[in-house]
Amino acid sequence: MKRITNPSLLLAILALLSSGPSFAAPDAQAILQRSDHARGGGLPGIVWEIQLTPREGARQMETQHLEVRASVDASIAETLEPARFRGSKILQVGRNMWLTKPGLSKPVPVSPRQRLTGQASNGDIAATNYAADYTATLAGESVVANESCYILDLKARHNRTTYDQIRYWVTKDREVALKAEFYSLSGKLLKTATFEYGLEISYHGRNIPFVSHMLISDALIDADTDMRYSNVRIRVIDPSAFELGQLQ
Amino acid sequence: MKRGWLILFMLGFGLEAQASNSDWQSTWDAVLYAYPERLWRTEESVLNPDNRLARLADTSFTGEARLNLRLANDRYRISARPILSIRHEKESGESEPQGYLSQWQLRTALTPYWAASIGREVMNWGPAQFHSPSSPFYFDNGRSNPLRELSGVDAVKLAWTPDHRHALSIAFVEDSGHKHASPDDWKNTLLLKGDMRGDDWAGGLALAQARGSALFVGIHLQQTLNDACLLYGEISSTKRIDTLLSPRDFSQPFSLLAVSPRRETGLIGATYTLENGHSLTLEYLHDGHGYSRAESRAYFARAASSLAAAGLALAASPLLLNRNYLHMIWQNNLLDGDDYWRLMMSHNMDDGSTEFTAYIEHAVNGRLTLFLLGTLDSGGSRREYGMVIERSLNLGLRLALP
Repeated sequence: MKRITNPSLLLAILALLSSGPSFAAPDAQAILQRSDHARGGGLPGIVWEIQLTPREGARQMETQHLEVRASVDASIAETLEPARFRGSKILQVGRNMWLTKPGLSKPVPVSPRQRLTGQASNGDIAATNYAADYTATLAGESVVANESCYILDLKARHNRTTYDQIRYWVTKDREVALKAEFYSLSGKLLKTATFEYGLEISYHGRNIPFVSHMLISDALIDADTDMRYSNVRIRVIDPSAFELGQLQ
Repeated sequence: MKRGWLILFMLGFGLEAQASNSDWQSTWDAVLYAYPERLWRTEESVLNPDNRLARLADTSFTGEARLNLRLANDRYRISARPILSIRHEKESGESEPQGYLSQWQLRTALTPYWAASIGREVMNWGPAQFHSPSSPFYFDNGRSNPLRELSGVDAVKLAWTPDHRHALSIAFVEDSGHKHASPDDWKNTLLLKGDMRGDDWAGGLALAQARGSALFVGIHLQQTLNDACLLYGEISSTKRIDTLLSPRDFSQPFSLLAVSPRRETGLIGATYTLENGHSLTLEYLHDGHGYSRAESRAYFARAASSLAAAGLALAASPLLLNRNYLHMIWQNNLLDGDDYWRLMMSHNMDDGSTEFTAYIEHAVNGRLTLFLLGTLDSGGSRREYGMVIERSLNLGLRLALP
């Protein structure tokens, strides 16, 4: 047998052997981008309905029924039920938010901290575009609800995000997020969330699982908000729908 | 609304709608209001001596139905907001029923970016809550009667929205809509409005000019500083018509100026939202059209001289009597939970008078809400907050249907 004496050639062969498919590091940002589809992100526009039920301690609060219309970085959430809030709307464009309801003289600007109800901020009910807003790195792997998952650490790219850091569990097979932990800039755990995907949408000829249930829990107090999604439609929304003059 | 405009629009709208294959969807809802009101008039009011001028009812009852009707498909929308109300005054025993269209609109999306509409539309904008300096039609911002809904102005509008960060519209406002004043400041007004929105700011410019009147220029701007804090401002420059001049020397009489000199009105404000969803708002307003301290003192002295002078002073007073105001709001989350409350304080920095307002809502169930509105004016008979009314209390219920 002839010995390999050239060190460069030896290194090249070793590099070739170690670059096989079983050793490839997964692209965290691409995984994140694909997982966004299942939560309404990266689509030309989407409309859905949500039933939100907040709970604080033993007290189950009134369910709110919303219709959400969202495009890339704008959304409108309109309250359908309870009847006393009917017609109330929250418009979000970038980090700007306005609130209006019948009887108000004009839409009122509100800060991003203004919650819709319970633990749900506006960022939780709008379409999720984490790939555009966060930089993802792979932090490990684990099993959640019997599914093998990548653990992604997300860091906000700008100050317009609802959360500064997120730890995100995305399944290897379906590429959907099953669990999330939301952190403040100082690293304090604020909320956790779990997701289920009982719906399906069709986009570019592909059937994509779509979120049907999200449970957001407060990490500091005994409170959570149960969000159930329905009537999901991919639909391009005219820019004028996000005009303040059309809100009332 | 001129019939020609309406017929032309209806014709185009009808032909276009007929050609559309999209499904029409109709919806309706209604809100019923019932509330008694009790007023405590200012004793020895200079502007309303013995209630002979304003003729305010001490006790009244209002019942009101606000309907919301809508027919729409992907391209077209027809909406109407009729209001039926009756107000009964206890002392006189008189009842005043009325029915009118508070708002209505025929709107068509010509393309994804262009839309045309005709109707009665509330053209009120800007982030300020005390008053709306940047809006030509709604400077008062509904403050004179907080339980009444603003009614729209009659207008034909063409809007261009190339994306959700830019919008431009041109409108012809025929008049100020339901129960417009005569003469109407905004009869035959051309309005041009542009809006821009960045990642964390929004702003707009409005130019309005009624036929034969001066140009109104209004600008509004807001900035989301961080997760909790908003900073905003509004400014306008305009001339007002039929302005009551009140010389400092009160031996000189009132005089009515057909058109005032050009003056500026500006407001700056900030809102801070607490972790629990409560928000605190502070606004400062300077109105160049208001009286100086000496002029408003002379205004009351002159009004006290005769009933005719008091009548003129009451009818033709500036929209805000003086020039410098502070407005504060503390409220909880508008959309969260069973109860909503809002506490407000408006302070006239020139004459030192203050108005305190409390509004409280309690949800009995998903449809029925009880509410209470109370105001307290501290100024007495010769200062703005208190010159006619000292206190008022409304206690009512609101029922949402279906």
